[in-house]
Amino acid sequence: MKLIFAIPVLFAAVVPVLKAQGTRTVVMREAATHTDLTGVYRKSEQADPMRNMQPAKGSDPSIVNQPKDLVATSDILCFGGIATLVPKRAILNIPKNLQNRLTFLPGSNIRSWADFFALNRGWITTVEVSRVQAEGNKAMDEIIAERVRKSSNLVVATYQGGPISVLPPKVTVETPTAKP
Amino acid sequence: MKSHLFFLLSAGLFCVSSAWSQTATFTNFIRQVQYPSEVVWDASVASSGQQLSQLAIDPGGARFELWTVSSVGPTSFLLDSNYVGTYIPVATVAVRSEDNTSAIPRTRADRPFYVDLVVSGLLSGASDPEPSKSVKFLRHVQSYGVEGTGIGIDRTQATLMTQTSVTTNGTQNLTFLINSIPGADRSKVRGEERFSVFSLEDYQAPESQIASKYIQIWPVADGSMTGIASNQLVRYTLPQLTLTLNDLYPFSTTYVQAYKGNAALGTTGTVVPGSALVINDSVPQSRVLIVKDYDSAFTTDGRWTLELLTKTPFGLDRLAYVSFDLDRTMKVNGAVTTIE
Repeated sequence: MKLIFAIPVLFAAVVPVLKAQGTRTVVMREAATHTDLTGVYRKSEQADPMRNMQPAKGSDPSIVNQPKDLVATSDILCFGGIATLVPKRAILNIPKNLQNRLTFLPGSNIRSWADFFALNRGWITTVEVSRVQAEGNKAMDEIIAERVRKSSNLVVATYQGGPISVLPPKVTVETPTAKP
Repeated sequence: MKSHLFFLLSAGLFCVSSAWSQTATFTNFIRQVQYPSEVVWDASVASSGQQLSQLAIDPGGARFELWTVSSVGPTSFLLDSNYVGTYIPVATVAVRSEDNTSAIPRTRADRPFYVDLVVSGLLSGASDPEPSKSVKFLRHVQSYGVEGTGIGIDRTQATLMTQTSVTTNGTQNLTFLINSIPGADRSKVRGEERFSVFSLEDYQAPESQIASKYIQIWPVADGSMTGIASNQLVRYTLPQLTLTLNDLYPFSTTYVQAYKGNAALGTTGTVVPGSALVINDSVPQSRVLIVKDYDSAFTTDGRWTLELLTKTPFGLDRLAYVSFDLDRTMKVNGAVTTIE
C-alpha cells in the first residue's frame, strides 16, 4: 500500500527532470563551412546517381533550341496606361496615326490580349484567319485583304480569338512544262 | 494532328523576387509555337485552370511556353515550356528538397535534394522513329555569382554537367547529396541546378524540351556578434550587441539566445529581447542588428553564454557564440565607528 502512495511522489519528481532533459534534445548544429562541405562534395561526385545512366552524345540541345524571349518576339500595343503583347507578324495593318501605340510607355500595366482588346475595340480590329492561312499555305481572301489594307484601325490577325502570326503566302514556283 | 491539354500555372509568379513584386505587376501568357512552320499563337487564358489548345498541332509538333511578363521594362520570364509531338514520349521532372515553403524548389548549399523523373510513351519497335525510342536527360548547373539573385540570368550560359539517354519507360528517383554549382567556397555558392528532358531531333523539329525543372541553391548563412568579448567580465549593465548577419536563408528566423553556463550545442535558452529577425523572402538577406537593453534575459549573476542561431526548414544552426561572466552585485566596503 505504501508503494501506491509513493508513485505520485516519484512521478512528480521525475517529470520535471525529463522536461529539463527534453529542452536539451533540440537538433542544433554548427553552420556548415567550406571545410565541412568539401568532403561531402567529393562524396557527392562519387555517388552521382546520373553516373550509372547511359551517356548521350551530341551538343547541348538546350542552347540550340531555347524559347526566344517573349518580349523580343512580340509587338507591343500600348494605350491609356495599359499594354499587351502579340506575336510578331500578327499585326496586319498599322495606320500612320497609330504608329506611336506600338511603343511601350513606362508605367503602363501589362494586360492579357483579351483584356486589352476589350478596352480598345475603338481602334483595333481583328481578322480571324485559318491555320493554313497563318502558315502561308493559303492567301487571305482578296476582299478581306483589301479591307485590311484600307482600314483606319490597327488590324490584328487572330485564331479563335488569340493573336496569331501570319506567314507570307508561299510562292508557288511554276515548273516549265516541256512542249510536245 | 492532335490537340493538347495545357495547364496554367498561376503560381508561376513566385519566381521573381519581392523587390520586383513590390513595384511591378505580372501577367501570364501561353505561347504555342508550331513546327516546322514556326507559326506563333497566343492562347487567351485565365490565371488558373485548364483548357484544350484550340490550335491543332501539326505533325512536326508544337512547343508550349508559359511566360510571365513584368510591367517594369517590360521584362518576360519563362516559367516553363513543353514540346508535344505525334510520337514524342511524355516526361515529367519534379525536384524536391527539405524546404517545401516555396513555389520554386530551393535548398541550401549544404543540403541534399531529390529529382523524380517519369518517362512514358517510349516505343521500342524496329520500325519506330528514333525520337520515339529515346529521350535525353540533362543536368545543368549555373552560378548566380556573388550576391546574385538569378533575376534576368541568361540560361544558355549554364554548364552542362551530364547528358544521358533514357530508353525505358518508368520512374527514376535520384538523390543528390549536395549541389555542384561552381564556386570557390562550397558554403557560399548560389545558383541553380536544372534537370531537363529533351526529345531527339528528327526531320521536322529540332531537339526540343519536353520537361524541365530547376532548384535554387542558396548559401549557408554566417554571422557574428560584437559588443561582448569571450571570457569578458561584465559588470552591472550588459553592453550593446551588434549582430552582423550574412546570407540569411529566404525562409528563416534568426535570434540570439542566452543560457547559464558555458557554451553547449543543443541547449535551449531565453531569446534575447530585440534580437529576433524573421525573413520570408525569395532570396537570401543580409542585415546588421543592434541589440540593447536586454538585461531581462539574465536572471542571475555568473557564467553565461550568448548564441546567435538561425532556424530554417533544415533545422537550427549556430552561427556564433560567446561565453562571459556577469557580475551585477554591488559590494559596499564600509566601516562603522563610534567615538566616545
